[in-house]
Amino acid sequence: MTAPRPYALLAEVTYRCPLHCPYCSNPTGMRSDSELTTDEWRRVIREAAGLGVLQIGFSGGEPLMREDLADLVQGARKARLYTNLITSGIGLDENRARVLRDAGLDSVQLSFQSDHIDLADEIAGAHAHQRKLDAAAIVRAAGISLSLNFVIHRRNIDRLPQIIELTETLSAGRVELANVQFYGWAFLNRAALLPTRKQIARAREVATAAKTRLAGKIDIFYVLPDYYETRPKPCLNGWGQRYLTVNSIGDALPCPTASSAIPDLRFENVRQRSLDWIWRESESFNRFRGTAWMPEPCRSCPQKEIDFGGCRCQAALLTGNAANTDPVCTLSPNRVRVDAVLRDLDRSSGQTSEWTPRVNPKKDAVRPNA
Amino acid sequence: MIPDHAQPRLAGGVRLEIDAITGKGVLLFPEGILELNETAQDIITRCDGLTLREIVLGLAQEYDADLEILGVDVRETLADLERRKLVEFA
Repeated sequence: MTAPRPYALLAEVTYRCPLHCPYCSNPTGMRSDSELTTDEWRRVIREAAGLGVLQIGFSGGEPLMREDLADLVQGARKARLYTNLITSGIGLDENRARVLRDAGLDSVQLSFQSDHIDLADEIAGAHAHQRKLDAAAIVRAAGISLSLNFVIHRRNIDRLPQIIELTETLSAGRVELANVQFYGWAFLNRAALLPTRKQIARAREVATAAKTRLAGKIDIFYVLPDYYETRPKPCLNGWGQRYLTVNSIGDALPCPTASSAIPDLRFENVRQRSLDWIWRESESFNRFRGTAWMPEPCRSCPQKEIDFGGCRCQAALLTGNAANTDPVCTLSPNRVRVDAVLRDLDRSSGQTSEWTPRVNPKKDAVRPNA
Repeated sequence: MIPDHAQPRLAGGVRLEIDAITGKGVLLFPEGILELNETAQDIITRCDGLTLREIVLGLAQEYDADLEILGVDVRETLADLERRKLVEFA
């Protein structure tokens, strides 16, 4: 099948992170192989631009853990890409922000765990909140565009009004209030993180009201957890259509969570293959491209070009087969599995349960270029 | 209505690039890409300190177009981009 051109590259430059958020979408069994070098990343960025990529998101882990981050940003700007830093803010001081801005960094997406320092630090598993507040001010002072991201889950969803207040205080132009989706560490910690139906209903009202009230001032993106949807999200706008991810050790992925969610899919590495070949020819990028792979009920569904069968990782995690219809779809025979999860939660009436904090890969082997 | 003396410029965090694949202008911003039509690209290329009036005059000259019709087009395009927070006025 002919490959379309990709628009955005997610560069997960490291899986190291000073935070331990229990909802991290990073794989739980992260390999500790050596991270790509500066030169290897520069090549990947050039190859991505050659394929048609217009935007790059530097993510992780915490991308600021890479001391060569400004070099990578510069490489991306040289390739005329729009550069976005997706960060916890830990490790961002005035000097670093200036260096990144001068390297051409276009925007920063700063994550917060909550509005309240005690809860936020508990979720992050680190004294992070105050440093994030400082980071927001530093980004603004450096004149870099700032947007915010809050991952919403059972423990912080009732504070949505206060969280929205915080975004007003920080005068960001754009905020994502993204309910946690269940991949990686979040899948492991689902029982502690999934909000109750009541919480979701209340939060939706709060978010809708805030959207109206702050229209023209702050763009608010409120994302429901998939489990409470009745139709699947158009995940990635289709597999291998617009997005690609390269992770810290150089695996090229159609989706950042695929490496852990779909164990029977073999991913190519940019150390062995060109990005162009991987995007166009590899089995992993072609497996779910288009609609020919679809089973029923997707195959005969009028929505199939709209939601593309939903999320392959969700299908794999909940049904054991990535080629199934996303089970959040009420037309899926596997929707019962999602309903069972929600019913269990209703029965436990959303009692707090323990979560496992995210831990870093065992060995941190980094070999940036001299 | 946007006044004649307003100076439109790209909002913070928004960049104009030429898409190497299509040859068309695109606006790039956090989490978004907007493909521009020719008119929008012509207008945005001129958003570098010129006033709305100067932009309209320049375009009218270049395309030998009716000043009033063009003025309406340019205002509409800029108002739409302002709603999307891609353009602001000094």
